[in-house]
Amino acid sequence: MNQYLVKEGVKNQIRKGEKLVSTHCCYCGMQCGMHIRVDEKNNKVVGVEPRYDWVLTKGKMCPKGVTAYQTIDHPDRIKTPLIKKNGQFVEATWEEALDLIESKYRGLQENYGKDAIGVYGGVSMTNEKCYLVGKYARVGLGTRYIDYNGRYCMSSAAGGFNKTLGMDRGSTLPWTELEHSDTFFMAGSNTAECHPTSIQWFWKAKDKGAKFIVADPRETTTARLADVHLDLLPGTDAALANGIMHLLIKHDYVDHEYVRERCNNFEELKEMTAKFTPEYTAKITRVAEEKIIKAAHIFGKSPRSVVMFARGAEQQTAGVDNVSLYTSMALLRGQIGKFASGVATFTGQGNGQGGREHGQKADALPGYRKIANPQDVEHVAGVWGIKPEEMPKEGVSAYEMFHLMQNKTIRALHVICSNPVVSSPNINYVQDSLEKLDFLVVNDFFMSETAELADVVLPAATWAEDEGTTTNIEGRVIRIRKVVEPLGESKTDWEIMSLIAERLGKGKYFDYNEPREIFDELRLASKGGKADYFGVTYEKIDEQDGVFWPAPTEDHKGTPSVFQERFATEDGKANLAVCDFKGPSEVQSKDYPLWLTTGRVVYHYLTGNQTRRVDFLMEQCSEPFVEMHPELASRYQVENGEKVKLSTPRGEMITPVKITKAIRKDTMFVPYHWGKKLSVNQLTSPALDPYSRMPEFKVCAVKLEKLTK
Amino acid sequence: MNKIMYLEFERCIGCRACQAACRECGDHDAKERNFVEYVDFTESRQTFPMLCMQCKDPACARVCPANAIQITEEGVVLSAMEEKCIGCRNCTFGCPFGIPKFDFETNKMYKCDMCYDRTRNDIAPMCASVCPSDAIRFIDFEEMQQLRRKRTQMNLVEGKKPQEGNKWDYVPEFFGVYTDSQS
Repeated sequence: MNQYLVKEGVKNQIRKGEKLVSTHCCYCGMQCGMHIRVDEKNNKVVGVEPRYDWVLTKGKMCPKGVTAYQTIDHPDRIKTPLIKKNGQFVEATWEEALDLIESKYRGLQENYGKDAIGVYGGVSMTNEKCYLVGKYARVGLGTRYIDYNGRYCMSSAAGGFNKTLGMDRGSTLPWTELEHSDTFFMAGSNTAECHPTSIQWFWKAKDKGAKFIVADPRETTTARLADVHLDLLPGTDAALANGIMHLLIKHDYVDHEYVRERCNNFEELKEMTAKFTPEYTAKITRVAEEKIIKAAHIFGKSPRSVVMFARGAEQQTAGVDNVSLYTSMALLRGQIGKFASGVATFTGQGNGQGGREHGQKADALPGYRKIANPQDVEHVAGVWGIKPEEMPKEGVSAYEMFHLMQNKTIRALHVICSNPVVSSPNINYVQDSLEKLDFLVVNDFFMSETAELADVVLPAATWAEDEGTTTNIEGRVIRIRKVVEPLGESKTDWEIMSLIAERLGKGKYFDYNEPREIFDELRLASKGGKADYFGVTYEKIDEQDGVFWPAPTEDHKGTPSVFQERFATEDGKANLAVCDFKGPSEVQSKDYPLWLTTGRVVYHYLTGNQTRRVDFLMEQCSEPFVEMHPELASRYQVENGEKVKLSTPRGEMITPVKITKAIRKDTMFVPYHWGKKLSVNQLTSPALDPYSRMPEFKVCAVKLEKLTK
Repeated sequence: MNKIMYLEFERCIGCRACQAACRECGDHDAKERNFVEYVDFTESRQTFPMLCMQCKDPACARVCPANAIQITEEGVVLSAMEEKCIGCRNCTFGCPFGIPKFDFETNKMYKCDMCYDRTRNDIAPMCASVCPSDAIRFIDFEEMQQLRRKRTQMNLVEGKKPQEGNKWDYVPEFFGVYTDSQS
């Protein structure tokens, strides 16, 4: 079968003795198209070739994408199972590793019940695997305690979309339409660094005269594009959105017909936003009044606008409110469900969209079904071949699982595709929680900081060593192709889960020969749900450049634009958000007088377990730093490059200073891609959004100290 | 080949994908030949990419005492020929843009060759292929002319003209070489 997909008239360079395999990048939600170069003689990956004809990214890649292939045949790869003996990892056979896991799992579950084992998943893997993690926990282990790293990533966006629109698809429109939009309102997203290849669409629009409004405490590379940069104080998005809506109503930019026919709560929203005058909004957000007014007029006048947001607005205790409010801005303008307009969140992880749809979340089952809903349980139990009453109940969110490890409710944990001792907030507590476990199993292909704590490390295959699908930032289901065989003795995550399930006597539920069989089961499990994949097939993905869900029937071509007729709420109407500004959980004090926010740099992905092993990326950015304004630096008498101490009640770190005027004077920024003593998550706040249980990574009060010589 | 490299500095997002991609070109020995720099990080995050101008009368070739730097019929200025290069590094001093680099291990200069093995087959160079923001493009001469005219028009529409204080925003937005016709 030909694995190289190319459209007519498009040329690639194919060197002698090499073949190309068409796939997508392993990193962010853009899922950039790429061809991997394979030496035909020894079947080794040797490089990358742009996939010029991939509809969303046109061959473009960021430095992570260009170098992604280097992680496949990397010398740091874990090639055999490892078992910790006397504090040291020793190589083991699969048989030995599985024997140990079986005896520990069985022993713990016999003594402490099924729920003594937890599963901690991730979404940087295919839909097939993400789906199977949910089934593995509930059927294989029979535990209620499963959650995943998407809790730190997409849960507030999901919560906000579900509240307002009734369904959580990250983008209501295909992004190939973005070049026709007139205005972009972007909050808390540095897309130029976090999803670099998206920037081509924004520039295409800008070349035609589109306007940009960017809300961010830093003048990021993205904010540099902006016509208006709203340099708000971290954690004040709710006030900003209410303030903009106040002006939309005041200057009658509201699409009254749309709001009347398609939205609830307009009168309540009007009442709530009444107090958010530019003066009041400016007082909370510390953005100049005239900038707020200018932004509202640009946004209000624009016939086709897209409101976009990312973790900056979402990783707050008011994350769901922020998302709901920003979404309501688009609703007031009557934008959702129309051409080149709508609302979108930037999916941070490769399969952040698909991975959150199919039951890795504590309260969810495939197809966005709910574990609390008996009909949903009945449907999924039917597909899985279990009795509905065998389905475990709802569990708890990712960060809350660590509390249960502290009190010994959870005694063993299986971490799949995640690195929580770097990615969680307040990691000193998280590390302590993992150390309290009786037994920790980690699947990974590199020795992550979490894997170092494990009792058993199972060598997982990389993204290029397995087939499957992912769902990109737009909601487009696409295909990941197998490029080479798994290195050494490593196995794909789905094989690993199946093997363990077999050991626990659940083999008949996990009898798969290839990912396609898992996908076909996922299609049935999601059938009739909100995220309906029934009509998505591997063949259709190749034929039509991906399939947008929902695709409810086999002959359905997919749904690029959603909500064109009605919203997915019960009454078909969107619920405008009526939310007051509550403020972040931490406030500045005499001891902690400054603000700290975190984020990404373009060279690294998530906890850096992959990107910190790539030479090019480490040459560009090898360690964290703290960005601050020269005025702040002057106040503390620190110089560029000088190491300083940052501390919060939870932890401290020492890191070099980078001085730039492109940040607020009262806010500092540290990227989060490093572990242990280099991790800013020693400092971040574990306060959770009450609805989505998303931690407040983006705002905490911090102390800055000059080190004495 | 009647295509040109077109740079638009202000579009640069500083991701350095062009540098990473440069290393991926088959003839580049995993060494990048272009660079991206901040204009002034203390002031703003604006970066700019720089690659070989493929000058018609290249200073690097002119100052080479060994005649090691060849120019192809398409006008592409190649790296020094291995058998001729004497490692004097004159080219690295002669080039006003700092393009030729020197490998002290092999005692040899290397520079951007516009991914000659790609471009001679009408496939875009690696840097222009991957550049996420189209700050680097490999386009037809006609398309470049259109872009220039369009840009002037946009600047007028927006009422933007360079002032004393913001000249940096208006650094020349394009250059590159092209051959007038297939010679």
